[in-house]
Amino acid sequence: MIGAVIAGLTLASCAAPGSGTTGASAEQDDITAKVTPADVAELGDITLKMWADQAEEPLMEKVVPAFEDEYPNVTVDITYKSFDDLIATVVNAGASASPPDVFQGNIGYAVDGALVEAGLVRSLDDVAEIYGWTTGTGASTLAPAMWSDDASSFGTGTLYGMSPISEVQGIYYNTAKLEALGLDAPTTIEELAADLPIALGAGEQPIMLGNSDQYAGTHIFSDIAAAEQDPASIAEWIGGAPGSTFETEGNAEAASIMADWASKGYFGDGYDGLGNQDAISRFAGGDGVFFVGGSWNGASLTSEEFGMSSLITGGVGATASPWHISSKSENSLAAIAWLDMLHSPEVGQQILDTGRLPVITDSVTATDPLQEQTLTVLKDTIAAGGQVGYYDWSTTDMLTSMGGALQEVMAGRTTPEEFTATVQATWAATHETP
Amino acid sequence: MSNSLSKGRPAALFARRATLSGYSWSGLVYIIPALAFFVVFVIYPIIVSVQTSFYDYDGLTLATPVGFANYVNVFADDDLRTALAHSLVLLVFYAALPVCIGLALAGAMSRIRIYGLTVFRALLFLPQILSSVVVAVAWRGLLASDGPVNSALEAVGLGALATTWLGNFDTALPSIGVIGTWVEYGLCMVLFLAGIVTIDRSLYEAARLDGAGPIREFFSITLPALRPQISIALILTITFALRNFDLIWNTTRGGPGTSTTVPSLFVYQDAFQNRQLGQASALAVVLTAVILIVVVIVQVLLRERGDKKTRTPRKERTR
Repeated sequence: MIGAVIAGLTLASCAAPGSGTTGASAEQDDITAKVTPADVAELGDITLKMWADQAEEPLMEKVVPAFEDEYPNVTVDITYKSFDDLIATVVNAGASASPPDVFQGNIGYAVDGALVEAGLVRSLDDVAEIYGWTTGTGASTLAPAMWSDDASSFGTGTLYGMSPISEVQGIYYNTAKLEALGLDAPTTIEELAADLPIALGAGEQPIMLGNSDQYAGTHIFSDIAAAEQDPASIAEWIGGAPGSTFETEGNAEAASIMADWASKGYFGDGYDGLGNQDAISRFAGGDGVFFVGGSWNGASLTSEEFGMSSLITGGVGATASPWHISSKSENSLAAIAWLDMLHSPEVGQQILDTGRLPVITDSVTATDPLQEQTLTVLKDTIAAGGQVGYYDWSTTDMLTSMGGALQEVMAGRTTPEEFTATVQATWAATHETP
Repeated sequence: MSNSLSKGRPAALFARRATLSGYSWSGLVYIIPALAFFVVFVIYPIIVSVQTSFYDYDGLTLATPVGFANYVNVFADDDLRTALAHSLVLLVFYAALPVCIGLALAGAMSRIRIYGLTVFRALLFLPQILSSVVVAVAWRGLLASDGPVNSALEAVGLGALATTWLGNFDTALPSIGVIGTWVEYGLCMVLFLAGIVTIDRSLYEAARLDGAGPIREFFSITLPALRPQISIALILTITFALRNFDLIWNTTRGGPGTSTTVPSLFVYQDAFQNRQLGQASALAVVLTAVILIVVVIVQVLLRERGDKKTRTPRKERTR
């Protein structure tokens, strides 16, 4: 009997892992008009199964009742997962025999790229056209969810997902400390650079940084790099455009500025031993004059004590995890209606009310000054073409490679040129192998 | 079948054999649930891992066989060789130091009558039962630039030595090593204390009559008698050192730079971030093989020579 079990296992393991059927995307019925409640009612009583990031729960608590009111035959059933958990499991869930109808992925090759390559998510080109997503303020935010046919590059191509939420990087400052130092909020990297020695001279830690997770430093680097060169070229490189390179003068210059600031003590001592979460807590508690972070840090900061300054050159921004429709879903009409609701100005306002930034920015109003400033930073960044996304989207191992290499160059152990070469080598390993 | 063969044999033998065969069959039935569990959750995944290591596989689309290419990559990768070197450094901190400290503590505890010994033993064993994430977070706080370790150094006038232990390229690896030492020494100590109890006290009395001091006693009686416990302690700690992932992931993520990378970090990154399951499996298989080889070496080196039992049977103990 045991022998039979083992024989069975051996037989089973003779076949190559994986299945050959998921490669081709299934035929889909494109929509030709907006989905109406009557169209959805024809589906009968259905449950729309979803997987979402835990962070979406406060927003979902507002959106789901509204959706179920408008489409009374639909029950929404959302499974929430922590972000780490979600990105580790959602691809396999999408590949399972009964995947959720709607789920959030993550921009880049590890999750969205895998979903597109395996044909697990529905193309949304028809939806974007019918619902007018391709025009208006949110249009440019669709790019990170557009993929080439073989899923080898993103930024242009077929649309496979939609995120209603934007993110933007910028410079948070401690209002009281800035006033005490007699400084104005910096609007360029040069102005920031000029403020740093003044802050240090007054005995303050100029920039609060916690880089032990290896990614906080890359956000500062990207703000500087976007000011040193055309942001469009960064977006191309992140999207994997053939022939693009990281070994540019602008990137080397940005790396040398980072090394210079680190050696002068502008990031304080021991930033590599401090976690990013600990750093934001310290900044919120009154340590440090500036914090170069992103709109996702805003929830930790109060508008009475802190402000966010808009860089004339534009900061760097991106969209949050996109929502996808499973290519196997039998309820795709209801799923399209769901995405439409997420993309509406009403939900845009709710997104802002729950402390985040919507992609639709023209019909929403901020309720406190910090929110207003963050919204301005986002608008300026979009205007300056700075929605280039994050470097770690470029390859699955870029976060580790670039994060570690940046720590080395900031510690003065490598040159800026060695840094850009290391990063480019990691990029080339993914994008230039045949 | 065995019953028919036994016909005509002496009754006693027949009875014994029947009992034996009956026992073994019912035994098999009893272990089936555990065996099924073991096969499904341990043996089968191992087989699949070994098989996957010969493929280029992203976990979704059809895998393509690549022969030994993944294994070639394992041995050709410079980053991986660096990581392996880090593991060797960690062996000192995770295996050698805990065994030495454990021996010293056990030796002292067995000689000196300490009030509340059980409490001390429990406290010293505590690091072993804490979740490694808790350990990592606690030590991250202890070793922070403004943490208690640096404060203590400053308090005794050694402020110049203070640094961001886990964020400094030179101190990050030894710092993680010290965390490992702290986690493992309690286990070694408890193993050795248990071993010391089985040593015949008359040996110590004899040694004392011959004029041996505490040090001589330790090296001539305690240490040789603890050979099996030392072997077990080394196997456990070496395995812990070579497959160590959680402590490093939760303290430095391999940084700063690449100064604390270890092989298991690459297994995780390949499997869950890069979706290169073939590469990750190959590395995991190699890592398992390395651990097995080291364990066998330790067992051979510390095997008791011959069958001679130098220890007196416990029954004859007199007090």
